[in-house]
Amino acid sequence: MAEALEWMQYVLAPQVINGASIGVAVVLMALGLTIIFGLLDVINMAHGEFYAMGAYAAVILIAIGIPFWWALLLTPLFMAVVGYAVERTLIQRVFHSKDRHTLTLLLTFGLAIVLEDVLKIAFGANPMRIETPIGGSIEVFGLFFPNYRMFVMGMGSAIVAAVWIFIFRTRVGAIVRAAAFDRHMTASLGVPVNKVYALTFALGVALAGIAGVLLAPIYSVFPTMGRDFVLIAFSVVIIGGMGSIKGAVIAGLLLTQIQSISSLYISPVWSDPLLFGCMVLVLMWRPQGLFGRLGHG
Amino acid sequence: MGEFSRPASSKQINSLRLLAVLFFAISCVFAFIATVVEDVFFLRLATEAMIFGGLALSVDLLLGITGLLPLGQALFFGFGAYAAALILKNWTVSIWLVLLACMLSSALVGLVAGLIAIRSKGVYFALISFGLAQVVSKIVFNTVELGASDGIIGVPNAQILPGLSSGQPTVFFLFALMFIALVYSLLNYLMKTPYGRQLIAIKANEHRVAFLGFNTWRFKLSAFVLAASIAGTSGALYPMLRGFVSPELMFFQVSGNAIINVIVGGTGTLIGPLYGSALLTGLRSVVGSFTPHHQLVIGVLFMIVVILFPRGIIGYLAPMLDRRCQKGQGTVQQEARGG
Repeated sequence: MAEALEWMQYVLAPQVINGASIGVAVVLMALGLTIIFGLLDVINMAHGEFYAMGAYAAVILIAIGIPFWWALLLTPLFMAVVGYAVERTLIQRVFHSKDRHTLTLLLTFGLAIVLEDVLKIAFGANPMRIETPIGGSIEVFGLFFPNYRMFVMGMGSAIVAAVWIFIFRTRVGAIVRAAAFDRHMTASLGVPVNKVYALTFALGVALAGIAGVLLAPIYSVFPTMGRDFVLIAFSVVIIGGMGSIKGAVIAGLLLTQIQSISSLYISPVWSDPLLFGCMVLVLMWRPQGLFGRLGHG
Repeated sequence: MGEFSRPASSKQINSLRLLAVLFFAISCVFAFIATVVEDVFFLRLATEAMIFGGLALSVDLLLGITGLLPLGQALFFGFGAYAAALILKNWTVSIWLVLLACMLSSALVGLVAGLIAIRSKGVYFALISFGLAQVVSKIVFNTVELGASDGIIGVPNAQILPGLSSGQPTVFFLFALMFIALVYSLLNYLMKTPYGRQLIAIKANEHRVAFLGFNTWRFKLSAFVLAASIAGTSGALYPMLRGFVSPELMFFQVSGNAIINVIVGGTGTLIGPLYGSALLTGLRSVVGSFTPHHQLVIGVLFMIVVILFPRGIIGYLAPMLDRRCQKGQGTVQQEARGG
């Protein structure tokens, strides 16, 4: 009995907490993806590059002497502007064709290629680091955890909660949900649906940017940093149900826990195949994912 | 699915055939000139374009004809390349046996992957094929027995006939050209059979095909397996050309490039992807000799094509050619605009 308790305290607990701090960032990424899909039907293949852009924006801001906390505030604003511009100048152009799914996916895929190369040209391929803004560690369950990871967890949860309240408890959120459910009806009620679309895309991109800033002090910053990370986010979105906010949160936390606890027993090399196995199992049972779409039930 | 719809008029199929004949004629002329001036670099590059053309054909079978967007076709391409490298190194150098083995084994891998991926529809299919390829490439990247990140080097030349091997640039180019011509003719023929019509119908309206009493799952799975087999066999030619394989062959970049080749060339036209592959392989090589950031150029080009010419080069050229022909014959000019 005592052994089991010790195992839980010294082996399991650190993994759970580390997993949760990554999990919150994964949820932020997945939220952006799922909101964009739920409302616009767009699979944003450039999401990983937006995440990297967010991290680089923080690197630049900190390099010119702006404190981390301001960078954390300014980067999502900057990324929202980028997202708005991308939606208005690129995605709108193919949005009204019948092949919306395929064309927007291909377009954002092209954008991902371009952005990745732009980042490489601007910053070089070598990884960069930013200083951890909060040093030290705190004691939880008799173990010490870096303060910054705890901060990431708290901050991430707060943002997820804010997005949740925004979508489900505010008037603007109701408009967003209405536009996702029936765009023509919403438009005929006088809502500028195209603007709602662009702003939603901007919100999704801003969330990717925040995830980039939050994780930049933990991981290093390099042009292809989004690639592996976005794969996890995609698995989360598929398992949770494309376009489901609840699904993204639950599946995101669950998958990162599976990943971090399984790494006690198997080599991390196998964690991606494991996640993918979970995804396949869920899809065999429920091909549309665990939860329904935004604005649908 | 209007933007990608396969042109149905017989006139258009004629102009597509004309463009196909032109493609293979240009390739033969190119081979002749390159051999006369004893060039090796461009012959090798053109052979590579042919090999990636095979991959593009397999993508077009799924994307342009069946209406499935495969984001992980490099999985089968890389599998074929690794299988061929291992067979060439350890068992036999006969190209026929290697290709046969790769054709069958990649079809088998395609069956397994298809059973997983075909369950899902639309964007789910796209993302699952993407995930599958990503996971397998990671496993290969971390498997020491397969050379891990270095891949397998020192793959011997394959023997086509006694005295003819894949080490001779002209011989191997012509072999790859013949292979592609064979695959192209096979797919072109298949599109005229009831089976091919079914695939086109699934792309146009899957529900209606199901209501008519056909099992769409079976058709989609068989198309997926066929595409996997084509991709795998094309991949098998790669180590014969370059003498090595690496995990990069399975990475998303290869799948992505194949899709770019298909879209830029012309989705659903079958010959378009071959033009796309030839043009873009050339472009990558030319731009790549000036700057390491050739992906930027390709990416911008691709985005322009997606926004302004979603039917691709051949998708626009073919109707134009038709109108020319009809004008020449003095018939009433017909606006053959689809979608």
